[in-house]
Parts: sequence; C-alpha cells; structure tokens
Amino acid sequence: MLKPEEAARPLTVTELANEIRRELRPLVALLVKGEVSGMKRGTKGHYTFSIKDGQSLINAFLWADDARKVTTLPEDGQVFIFRGRVDYWAQYGTVRFVVDQVEFDDIGKQRARLEELKRRLEAEGAFAPERKRRLPYLPRAVALITSPTGAVIHDLQETILDRYPNMTIVVYPVQVQGTAAAPSISRALRRCNAEGLADVVVIARGGGSFEEMFAFNNEVIARAILASALPVVTALGHTSDRTVADMVADAECRTPTEAGSRVVPRKSDLLKALAERERRIAREQAQRLSRETERIATRRQRLLQVLPNLVRAREQRLARARADVARLSPVAQLARRSEGLVDRGRRIDAAAAMRLGRGRTLLASRRAEDRIERAILSRFAQATRGLDHRRERLIALSPDSVLSRGYSITQDADTGAVLRAASDTAAGRRVRIRLASGRVGARVEETER
Amino acid sequence: MSQDLTYEQALEKLDQQLKLLEDGDLSLEDALKAVDEARVYLKICTERLEAAKRKIEVRPEE
Repeated sequence: MLKPEEAARPLTVTELANEIRRELRPLVALLVKGEVSGMKRGTKGHYTFSIKDGQSLINAFLWADDARKVTTLPEDGQVFIFRGRVDYWAQYGTVRFVVDQVEFDDIGKQRARLEELKRRLEAEGAFAPERKRRLPYLPRAVALITSPTGAVIHDLQETILDRYPNMTIVVYPVQVQGTAAAPSISRALRRCNAEGLADVVVIARGGGSFEEMFAFNNEVIARAILASALPVVTALGHTSDRTVADMVADAECRTPTEAGSRVVPRKSDLLKALAERERRIAREQAQRLSRETERIATRRQRLLQVLPNLVRAREQRLARARADVARLSPVAQLARRSEGLVDRGRRIDAAAAMRLGRGRTLLASRRAEDRIERAILSRFAQATRGLDHRRERLIALSPDSVLSRGYSITQDADTGAVLRAASDTAAGRRVRIRLASGRVGARVEETER
Repeated sequence: MSQDLTYEQALEKLDQQLKLLEDGDLSLEDALKAVDEARVYLKICTERLEAAKRKIEVRPEE
C-alpha cells in the first residue's frame, strides 16, 4: 500500500526514463574491455553488438558516423577495448554502451613498441629535417607505391595529370594492409630505386585504423624509406595518426590530392613563369639596346660639338709634328745629304768634264804638235827676219847714228825738251847736250834768233 | 653540358642571367651574351616541360 504522499505524485515512464538517463550521465568516456558477439550492421550504417566477459554482458551500439571514424571495426570473437558512454534507451527500456572508439586490446603494448622504435630512429637522426631529401622541382616521372585499386590511386593519378597533363606515372602495386604490407611496400621501394624510372616516390593508402596502419609503423618500412635514394612522399590518409613512415619520409602529406600537388608542379604555372621570364629577357634586351642607342646618340652629339676644335688643335699639332719629322727624320737628313752629294757629284762631274775637255784640247793640240811646231818655227824665222830688218832701220834712223856724224842733240836740262830753235831756251838755263858718245851739261850764255 | 641540366637547374641559370641583365651592370656585349644564354636556358626549360610523356606504366610485383 502506497503512502498517500507517495501516491500523490507518480512518475510517468518517460520521467523515469529521463531520471535514469540523468543518473547515468556521469558514465561517459569509459573504457570497457570485452569480447564482441552478435555484430550486426544496421540499415542506417550503425552497428549493434554485445560486449561480454565471462559473467556479464552489455548491449553496445555504434553510430554510423562513429563507425566511419573508429580505427577498426570489431568482429565477433575478438577482444577490444571500447571507449564510450552508458545510455538508457527509453524506447526499448534497455541500457546500452554507446561506443565511439575501438582499439585492440594489446594496443598498449604495440604503442609502447612503437614509441621505442620512434626513440631509436630519433636518436639516429632519422627524423632530422637536414636528412630529408629534397623533392625534385619537376620530376621526369612519378612512382606510386599503393594499392592498384580504389580511390587513392585514382585520386593520385587524377591530381597529377590534372596539374601536369604529360607527366609519366609508374605504378608499383602493393598490399597496403595486413602482415604482407610492410615487406611488399619495402620491396617495391627498393625496386623503384633500382629501376630508376621515376624521380620521386609516393607511398599512399587511404587511411585506416591504428591496426590497419600498423604496417607503416613497421621498422622494415622505415628502413626502406631511409635507404631510398629517391625522395619519398607519404600520403597515408587524413583519418590516421602520424606513422613512422610519415616521420622518416622526405615529405608527409595526408591525402592523395595533397601528395599529387606536392610532387608535381602545375604545368600551366611553369609555362606562365617561363613566359614571364621570356618577356623580361625581351624587355631587358630592348631596354639595353635602346639605352645603348641613346648613349651612342648622345656621344655622337657631343662628338659633333667638340670635333671641330679637337680636329683643329690636332691638325695644328700634326702639322708641327709633320714639319719636325720632316726636318729631323733620317730620311730627310739623308735626302739632304744625298742632295749635297749630288751637288758635289755634279761639281765633280763638271770639274771632271772640264778637265777632260782640257785634256782633250791638250790631246788635240798634241796631235797638231808637229804642225804647230812647224808653224812656230816658220813664224819665228819670219819674226827674226822682221826683227833684223827693223834693227837695221832702227840703227839707220837712230839719232846716235846721226850724232856719230858730228851732230848733237840739246835738251833742256830740266824739261828734257829737245831744243829745235833758239827760242826754245833762254840765257841762264841749263841744257844737256847729247853727243855721239857721252853727254855734256852746259848753261846757255846767250841766244840768237 | 647544358643539355644535362634539370628543369630547376636550367631555371636557376635562366634567373641568374636575368638578374645580371636586370642589375644592369653589364657591358653591351655581356648583356647580349646574357640574353643569348638566357634564351638557351629558357629553351631547355621549355623542352623539359614537354619531356615527360603521358604514360601510366604498371610494374607488377614479381
């Protein structure tokens, strides 16, 4: 029997349900470990299953949204660690564990191993930025190491060819999940290096749970990437945690699209950049040439202005120099000397000619010698004859001969004048009387006329 | 020689010549030489852009 105050206000079922839910609200972000059973996928993409241990069981529910985000989908019989909250489903009056994350039971151990691997690689400098290889600016070809099917390779190819329509792509199909993944990818990477068909390598997969991605946390892959001569780009999916492969890779992308953009430049951009440079070259050339033309024009102008003066001064100097040269030049001196020589030569010639002429005359006269001699002799004889004749006449005409006949000649002693008349002298004057033999000095006593 | 240059190397050479030209310290002869060289590198760059042949080759695991 209910007490009156208790009966006064009964709860509706809904109120009770809400009360229960309110009470359960602190039970959030719980981790529950248990085995999965009765896994069922709902029509809206959600999952229902039970989690149990040896003694207890709880219904579990995974929303479609969360199902896409969890690292792995639980399967019956496996033990997982579930994260979630407890909820009361009023409609069915059941308590459910609403899961939002699923992890493997031994995750802790795996994480610990992974951390240890990371520490070792870190100590080796495997993550150091300076160790990373530079991606080629423009690869000749791109190698893709990925699953040959699915959206990833499709997106990669599409992105690459969209950016660079004539790019060559070399696909190395590999397993990207499961225990075979790590050796498969490592082998492909080594082959890729050996074959050298591409300049850059993309390792890609479309994300996945920690477990699914575990191949990329494998030391085998890390070592293969480190040993690669070709730069390696990872694109392991935006839903996953950063893997060791990401950390040792030369570039780390999340999606295939991002990786495609990273390894291949946009060809149209390159062409644009080249066209721009071409314009700059042409512009520089044109500018340089026009500047040069201008400079030449300026100089020509200046030259035209200064040229007359310059030329005049130069000409004057040149003329002076020319005169000096003419005067001082050995040639001129030589010419002058040779002129002197010529002159002398001429004089010598003339002298020689003269001498020769004289010689010739001499010679000629010599040739005429006999004749001349004869003539001379004849002239001489003639002359002698004439002389004799004259001597006779002289003797005949000489006063001396008259004097010898007793005549004398009286001359004024002072003037020497021959006295021919008495009037030629006067008393007192001295006279000289020339006789046939000797002379007599006398004084005139008197004159008679 | 210059034919072995990658796109990036040729581009770098091209930019060097451009810089020389744009700094404007070159003699006319050197400037014209730089223009010629720049054109050579430009040509190499353009050739490199077309060198890849659109081809998707699959290398299956042996």
